[in-house]
Amino acid sequence: MQLAERSGKDRAQIARWERDSVTPSLETLRELLHACGFDLDLSLVPYRIPDAALDVRLGKAQEQTPQERLQAMLNARGR
Amino acid sequence: MDGEFDPYALLHALERQRVTYVVIGGLGRVLHGSGEVTDGLDIVPSTREENLRRLGLALEDLNARRADGKPPALERDLVGRGVLELTTDSGELKIVPEPSGTQGYDDLRRRAERPPLGQGLRPAVASLDDHARMLAALDREQGREPLAVLQRLIELEHSLRRTPSIEL
Repeated sequence: MQLAERSGKDRAQIARWERDSVTPSLETLRELLHACGFDLDLSLVPYRIPDAALDVRLGKAQEQTPQERLQAMLNARGR
Repeated sequence: MDGEFDPYALLHALERQRVTYVVIGGLGRVLHGSGEVTDGLDIVPSTREENLRRLGLALEDLNARRADGKPPALERDLVGRGVLELTTDSGELKIVPEPSGTQGYDDLRRRAERPPLGQGLRPAVASLDDHARMLAALDREQGREPLAVLQRLIELEHSLRRTPSIEL
């Protein structure tokens, strides 16, 4: 069954959520999950401060194409 | 003789026999930008009979052997086994019919991407989210660091996208 039928929400609104152009509020998200037979369980966890060195490494990799990432890995193996 | 890891040779062998599969594991994560180093190719094949026949032909081409040195017999070796680990002339190849946290090929192919890797290769690669899902389901000590890296990659990718407005 489609989410619109299950939840009673407007199809156009659901499409906007799916396109990520709008994020449903927490309350609406909970209603949608209830309509699908699920519930939302939130819990507090310690915040991990991002590792700056890791972010630099990942940022560089994100500037590469997958082909370049593969080549870089093969080059690293050869060292 | 165990071959030096050559992902292009492994992927070409699979493509030549028109095997349908999704790349997962270390190499999949590398293609998403995890920056790690890996020694083998892990794949989730379609377990349809015809595809397993094609995969068998590709494994013959690669001179694939099990740990006991014998060639694999796919239909028998994949039954009830989480991972079939093979050695080939082009490096290690792991065949994983149903990775932890997933329902196998049909589950992963929907969100898979096909990045061009050169030499005419565009293999299906499991999505970043699915890679994180698989590692999270494994719940192994050795998977925690790669999972933390993938989760950070996902956060960075989200932060690069336009921030959607939250409805009131």
